[in-house]
Amino acid sequence: MITKNAWQSFAPLFAFMVAYKGDLVSKLILGGGALALVVATGSVLSWLFFRYQIRGDSILIRSGVIKKKQIDIKFDRIQGVNTAQNPVYRVLGLVTVSFDTAGSSGSEGNLPVVPREFANTLRENIGAQKTERTDDTQPAKVSKALLKLDWRDMIRIGVADRRALIIVAFIGPLMERVGENSEQVIQDVLLSVNVDSHQLDVGTGALLVAGVVVVAVLLLVTFSIAAAFLRYHNFELFLDGRTLRSHGGLLTRHEHSMDLEKIQTIRLQQGVVQSWLRRHKMTARQAISGRKQRSQKMFTIPVVTAEQADTLRSLFLAPEAGRLSQEPGSDLFRPVSRYYLRSRILFAGLVPAAIMTAVLVNEAGIVGLVALTWLPLVALIAWRNWKRAGYLHDDNEIVRRSGLLGYRTVGLLFRKVQRVTITQSRYQRRKNLASLRMHMASGSVRVPYIEHEKAKQLRDYILYKVESNQQAWH
Amino acid sequence: MFRNPEIALDEMPDTDDVQWQELDPAYKRLRRLQNSIGILAVAAPIATVTALANFPLLTAAMLWAGWLVFAAFLLVWPGISLPKRGFVLRDKDILFRKGVVWRSITAIPFNRIQHVETSSTPFDRKFDLATLKLFTAGGSSGDLKIDGLNAATAEQLRIFILEKAGASIENA
Repeated sequence: MITKNAWQSFAPLFAFMVAYKGDLVSKLILGGGALALVVATGSVLSWLFFRYQIRGDSILIRSGVIKKKQIDIKFDRIQGVNTAQNPVYRVLGLVTVSFDTAGSSGSEGNLPVVPREFANTLRENIGAQKTERTDDTQPAKVSKALLKLDWRDMIRIGVADRRALIIVAFIGPLMERVGENSEQVIQDVLLSVNVDSHQLDVGTGALLVAGVVVVAVLLLVTFSIAAAFLRYHNFELFLDGRTLRSHGGLLTRHEHSMDLEKIQTIRLQQGVVQSWLRRHKMTARQAISGRKQRSQKMFTIPVVTAEQADTLRSLFLAPEAGRLSQEPGSDLFRPVSRYYLRSRILFAGLVPAAIMTAVLVNEAGIVGLVALTWLPLVALIAWRNWKRAGYLHDDNEIVRRSGLLGYRTVGLLFRKVQRVTITQSRYQRRKNLASLRMHMASGSVRVPYIEHEKAKQLRDYILYKVESNQQAWH
Repeated sequence: MFRNPEIALDEMPDTDDVQWQELDPAYKRLRRLQNSIGILAVAAPIATVTALANFPLLTAAMLWAGWLVFAAFLLVWPGISLPKRGFVLRDKDILFRKGVVWRSITAIPFNRIQHVETSSTPFDRKFDLATLKLFTAGGSSGDLKIDGLNAATAEQLRIFILEKAGASIENA
């Protein structure tokens, strides 16, 4: 907020800098001084005008120097309280608090700097309010430690970080070029010191390129491991009554909390690297309001084993559900129809490949047959997807499995479904199949290509569950 | 005492033998009218281009043939697609179906409805039609839109659904 204010006042400053005649050093000194002054004034002003007040069941936040803003957040609308603490704040015992709410898409409440104890009492207050509201016979609040990550887990998070892979994919070709250039440079250097350049044959060059690539990958992995340490160092997971809480982080400490009742879907993801490490990433999603801020409404547990994940989910969904396993390798998953594979190959593979080949052969001759490679590619993807697709359910919950290279399983409670849609294409109608889509407050979950009868049964059962249930879905 | 009786799946109320309510027949006329305006709007640039650019006869003929196919499709399509749409109001939920090639049936339980909205464009009002929108939680994907309802029906539905939604909240 403070930096944003400062940025807005940059424009006249720049104009002044350009207008001012003088040598570069005095210009910089003057500019820097003015900038510092503006930032300091801005901070002091927005500090002066920032007010917050805790009322009986809500918190009122007033801010803004010129443009006034006032937010009133009811405690029972708050889905989670998150805090972050950077090193400076840690020394001073301060935190930044932000609230997750269901409803408004953009402006969520935010307390930039408050004492740590205040944040704790606030969290307890909000928790207490809710417990009172939902259930009087709640057992006394016990903080129960569920999970603790150590340095090995940090390395696992770092290695499995998908962002690093994407960067490698992007700069891979670039690296090769750098490799070629460096080869040239080294050759020049060797020439200049009168060494016979014939010694530097193709093999050595390739080795050099490979070396550069390996170093680059190692560097990236190191970076993402460092990032994992920064974000998740000493990550711990607790259950306070019915509130899930986590904290972790090396320099800036992040603390998240979320009510178990707010969970809409539980997701277990496993990429290729994670499957080598036999670890998963677990996220619990809350209701979203807009398209934005999807990531903020998630409670993330960065690395768990399948057994840990199942223990956690049965704890989260207790007592009504949680008996199913979300482990993707489980053989309890029922496969979806084989026609899923066939229709994908037919409509996404065969038809476009035939058209493309016909057009290309007509235009470019025999080279146009290249288009036929489209078919095996689509077939391969469809086959992987089909092998990974599956679902299993009991009376209260359903788990869907999907994936291409890795696995993803999503679990949800029937009673929290918002709407159900059954879709049938012409092809599916002929084969008596249908796709079932369950819309949750956190997004939708689709079970493709199951028998039409089964889809209808599930739909009717979900409707029964939702309509006969009196509990709040949020 | 907490009880949790088992329910057999085949005793569940199903949606096979429900009476689907069709949309207002005036909606078919409105869609045809709107589409013909679109068709004419496309015809104008084709006419100017063929007149000015001095195309060979074959090219111009192909352009117009394409336009004819397009026009015929737009005029016939509402007659095919709109009868496939329909809704059923039940005691605890509303069903909506649509689609010719990809058919879908959506069910929204009343106790998940956040708010209800009716709207009508000037065209709609001319034909005494309205659109009903049902909002559930979960962002913009969580809406159901039923257009081409009789204005009076839409209003009745709005009030009925709101009442049902409110009752389910009070009972909770």
